[in-house]
Amino acid sequence: MDSAIRQALRDGEKLGLRYALQVPQVAASGWTGARTGRRAGSSIDFQDYREYQPGDDLRFIDWGIYARTDRLTVKLFREEVVPHLDLILDGSRSMNLETESGSGAGFKPASGLEARSTKAAALAKLAALLATAAANAQCTQAIWVSGEGFQRLQNDALTPSAWDKLDLESKRTPEQSFEILPPKFRRLGVRVFVSDLLWPGNPISILRRLRDGAAALFVIQLLARDDVEPPEHGNLRVVDSETGDESEIYIDSSVAKQYAENLAQLQQSWNDACRQCGAQMTTLIAEDFENSISELEAIQLLAPA
Amino acid sequence: MIPFLTYPLALIALATLPALAAIYILRNRFRRKQVSSLVLWRFHVQSKSGGAKIHKLQLPFLFFLELLALALLCVAAAGPHWKAPQSARPLIIILDDSFSMRAVSENISAQTRAKNFLEKLFRQPPPSTRLILAGTEPRSLGASVKNWREVNKLLSKWKCWSPNASIDSAVTLAAEIGKQQANILVLTDHKPADENISNPRLEWRAFGSPLNNFAFVSASRTAFGDQDRCLLEIANFSANAHSTKLLVQTGTNVQASMISLGAHESQRLVFNISSDAPSLRATLEPDALAEDNDVQLLPPIRKKVRVQVALADKNLSALANRTLDATSLRAAISADPQLVISESDNVVGQASSLPSAGKMPAPLPAGNCWNLVWSTVAATNAFTGPFIVDTSHPLAEGVALEGVIWAAAQITNAPGEIPVILAGNVPLLSTREDFFGRQYLTLNFNPELSTLQNTPDFPILFWNILSWRISEMPGLKESNARLGADVTLKTTGEAVTVIQPDGTKNSFPKTGGELALETPMPGIYSVIGGQAFSLSTNQFSVNALAADESDLSACASGQFGKWSEDTARRLEETSAVWIFGLLALALLTTHLYLVASAKGTK
Repeated sequence: MDSAIRQALRDGEKLGLRYALQVPQVAASGWTGARTGRRAGSSIDFQDYREYQPGDDLRFIDWGIYARTDRLTVKLFREEVVPHLDLILDGSRSMNLETESGSGAGFKPASGLEARSTKAAALAKLAALLATAAANAQCTQAIWVSGEGFQRLQNDALTPSAWDKLDLESKRTPEQSFEILPPKFRRLGVRVFVSDLLWPGNPISILRRLRDGAAALFVIQLLARDDVEPPEHGNLRVVDSETGDESEIYIDSSVAKQYAENLAQLQQSWNDACRQCGAQMTTLIAEDFENSISELEAIQLLAPA
Repeated sequence: MIPFLTYPLALIALATLPALAAIYILRNRFRRKQVSSLVLWRFHVQSKSGGAKIHKLQLPFLFFLELLALALLCVAAAGPHWKAPQSARPLIIILDDSFSMRAVSENISAQTRAKNFLEKLFRQPPPSTRLILAGTEPRSLGASVKNWREVNKLLSKWKCWSPNASIDSAVTLAAEIGKQQANILVLTDHKPADENISNPRLEWRAFGSPLNNFAFVSASRTAFGDQDRCLLEIANFSANAHSTKLLVQTGTNVQASMISLGAHESQRLVFNISSDAPSLRATLEPDALAEDNDVQLLPPIRKKVRVQVALADKNLSALANRTLDATSLRAAISADPQLVISESDNVVGQASSLPSAGKMPAPLPAGNCWNLVWSTVAATNAFTGPFIVDTSHPLAEGVALEGVIWAAAQITNAPGEIPVILAGNVPLLSTREDFFGRQYLTLNFNPELSTLQNTPDFPILFWNILSWRISEMPGLKESNARLGADVTLKTTGEAVTVIQPDGTKNSFPKTGGELALETPMPGIYSVIGGQAFSLSTNQFSVNALAADESDLSACASGQFGKWSEDTARRLEETSAVWIFGLLALALLTTHLYLVASAKGTK
């Protein structure tokens, strides 16, 4: 793995110490764990009373109430659960885009290391941040990286600085990876999908798959500055970072305007699809990453620890 | 058809072509840039302003339009010309209008030969023809004509009565009219000055013949006291001595004499005839040119001035009368004087000095009467000079004033008076014209202290005064004139009709002042006007007197110069700038359309 990515993971981990993942109430169900869930369970936290029903544990009958009312009433306690974060990372080459602008404001490479891809670094930093925030929220986590199918990142159960093989070299889009080998999400987990979302097709299909069985779905579009702002006027041979396809374009004001319109249209289609699926979406600029973290708080994904 | 360039240096501008190409090539160089996905770039059409492949440089259509337009403009700026085929050249014919063209040889004149030549020439008529008469001054005979019938109609104006032929001026005029492109044909009776004509557009045809000719070259009849003095000059324009018979007829009196003259000799005959004699006619024996064998001389015009001397001083009156009689221009006074000489001791220009009652000038008669005021003031200064004389004034003609003592009052001229003779700033003789054109002369002269009256200048001065008065009288100024010379006619505003010898009438509407009458042909001209003209002065004679035209020894026949060859005649250098300009304009219009519709870059 690139040393710059490694450094970004460390930076993200450090950054994530200040945040905790906001786990929605619906996600507070699942395996027995350290946190109380929304259902009745075996914790010591009282939740409610209800009438006894056959099959209820006799140990939870409140005999005092029975003595006063002659009715069998059981005490319900909150269950103890462990919330789960499924972090789905776009592992395609577009996330490893080499940019001309160099390091951005939110990414400071280690000395002696040349940052080749701000976008990849921002992705690593964001992933580390979210994983650390999830740990702060006593969540388990699984990091899925798209490639030839979705694979779990090596050592993803450990701290982010121990992660390995975050290579971002896939020529396939996340949607194609879904077709090959979908990730095995835990039910009612919080799912965060990080990608640049720059591939053709209707986003609703992949969003439905991501949303299926999830307590919440967050879509974070991570773009480089070059993705948002097209190059200046002139002749340009643009090369698709994933497919290697080339296209020669003369860029003028009308082309730049139409490019911006296309990007807005793409984002609008994803926004609409997210709204349709009950997902939250936000867009971060890789070069301006640290200033964009507030966006994650805005969509109630993170909260100060 | 090889084009040539007027400004070859403009071709240097072609260096802009590689510059344009470099601009396009550099502009079309594609920078390689990796993007996340082409999904955002799929909206627009792929640029075709550059090559799709790196090995193939594709330039837009606009580039070729601009390149071509630039090249065309460069070539247009170089001013290309080429020889374009022309159907034929227009023809300008110069006709010698001098009367030597009337000289007859073998019973046919040079003018007739020239006409016959023209008739043959017009069997294949040129596209357009213009005629120019080469008389005293070249004159165009109307608009272009296209066939012999129209030409023949114009040739009726070719009279051959001019005293000379300005062919060189006519050639210049023809070149200007034809814009150096027309063929010029000169029809005359003599050779050109330089037989080797270098002008490829000029062809000179001579139809004359060297002939012997006796001619009057000069003739005049002037007043000589009570008689008329006649002068006849006869010249023999031939290579050998010849004799001719001269007949001089005055009324019924006919005198014949033989004139024998050597080669190129002339003889002057001077004789007096009675002033009562009617017109004098002199003829020579018929020869090659009949027009110069006959002259008619009418009696000279004798005009005199009716002068009224109204001088109170007897000495002055006697002096004035004596001087006026000496001029022989004074008519007997009966009534209606034309000049009144009066006396005044008024100091001109000083309002405070009033004229003495006994010396008031005589009242000015009504009509066109001039007034000469003789100012004699007691307090005078005697001027010995230098005198300032306006020599351009008719009063000062011939006045020398050398060694003259002129006594005059120390005065200045009144407003409006024009001094003619001055002594320092003292006007001695001044004039003033009133609203009706009458002249008021002021003579500041005291004869008691002067010597002017004892010198010839004094009668000369009075002769000038009377002569000036005569010149302002209505009527003809002369009765005999040479062919082509203008005859001056003074009118008082009435309409005048002039009848030429051939009966043609020229009417002049009411125009005051002078008329300069043309004399296009010899003979007797009659002037019909108002009452101002007397019967004896309403005619004048015009005689063909031109030694150069009467001298037929230099006449010749032949062709001199030739129009350039037919092929060269049909190829004409034509500017091709407009072609390149139009093409460039069309290309630029297309360019503009393509740019406006954004097709040029696709």
